[in-house]
Amino acid sequence: MTIQEKLSLLEELLDTEKDTLSEETELNQLSQWDSIAVISLIAMFDETFGKVVTPKEVKSFKIIKDITDKME
Amino acid sequence: MAIGILNDVEIKGIACAVPENARNNEEYCELFGAENVHKFMNMTGIKTRHIALNEQCASDLCYVAAKRLLEKLNWEPASVDALIMITQTPDYAVPATACVLQHRLGLGEDCIAFDVNLGCSAYAYGLWLAGTMLSTQNLNRVLLLLGDTSNYGINPNDSATAMIFGDGGTATALEKSAGKSMKYFLKTKGSGFKTIIVPAGHARSRGKTDIKVSEYELFMNGSEVFSFTITDVPRAIKSFMSHFNIDKNDIDLYVFHQANLFILKHLAKKLNIPMEKLALSIDRYGNTSGESIPLTLVDAFGTEESNGTVKLLLCGFGVGLSWGGVYLEMDKSVCLPMIYTNEYFDGG
Repeated sequence: MTIQEKLSLLEELLDTEKDTLSEETELNQLSQWDSIAVISLIAMFDETFGKVVTPKEVKSFKIIKDITDKME
Repeated sequence: MAIGILNDVEIKGIACAVPENARNNEEYCELFGAENVHKFMNMTGIKTRHIALNEQCASDLCYVAAKRLLEKLNWEPASVDALIMITQTPDYAVPATACVLQHRLGLGEDCIAFDVNLGCSAYAYGLWLAGTMLSTQNLNRVLLLLGDTSNYGINPNDSATAMIFGDGGTATALEKSAGKSMKYFLKTKGSGFKTIIVPAGHARSRGKTDIKVSEYELFMNGSEVFSFTITDVPRAIKSFMSHFNIDKNDIDLYVFHQANLFILKHLAKKLNIPMEKLALSIDRYGNTSGESIPLTLVDAFGTEESNGTVKLLLCGFGVGLSWGGVYLEMDKSVCLPMIYTNEYFDGG
């Protein structure tokens, strides 16, 4: 999956406008980054990548790159 | 492994009572903001919930359901050998609510009566407990009651819990019945005991002097609950089905704890269950804790014209952490129509 594809997937998941996310975007700056987003992200990792990501790991994510690095 | 068969046991009837008072989550738009409320409603699928009156306890809802069920089955109160009450919102800290209900329902002095403290997994545990009593002891009839008024004990200003819960009380009548059986599995992960917790109000906080009001309220770590549900629960269901060679195509209806729609959909996907085989009552009743499975059965089959045998896979999961499932064949006609009531006990 290319970086662009990963970012598109996250834009869809977080319900943000298209092409608004970059790898440097800080999660704390996103109004959509809430408890529902955390759950959606855990579900996405499980469903799309067959990966178990713990809530503790998600809490340690600071920027979008922390997420995209794990999307494999 | 806690997995096995309960022989010579049958569910003879299921009744459910909910408070008449229904609240639409749209009413929270002013408090939490329309966008947040709609996002919550889309994700959880919860539109309305039934909320108990201040005076109405879980036991009152169970009482109404049990009374109707005994009448329907023509069971003499004295013929009930045991009453099991499973609740996390009992009438009192002491005594057990089951004792109060034994009295109110006019059951005999030879009746075993006790409470069990479990939530979302309660129906599987209750069926196992009642089933074990019937299949191994000289008992013929057990009344299994599950009820909660989860809306009392939450912070009405906490958007994480204010719009989720519905209140309800259910009664399930089980009887010794040759040739009938149920299969079950039960599991526990107490390391997650803080995931869903009311920290204060009991012995652990006895010596503390600086207890905050919020510690008397239900705390739920939603992401931890979700993470547990999508990993441990499908794994347990798969291994249960393979242990007994239960073919997923043979199941007519999957009735899971109605936690929220997002979790239910995700579970269905992980287990390859088509959505039409997944029972849903969450939209109209919310998350009703342990009683959500019998409530959903009543919602699905509690109509005059319902009859015929169905193969069911039930699974509850949550607070504890605790989870369990039951596979059984049941005639749909055992479910009574949903009861709506404002009745409560004035002798308490």
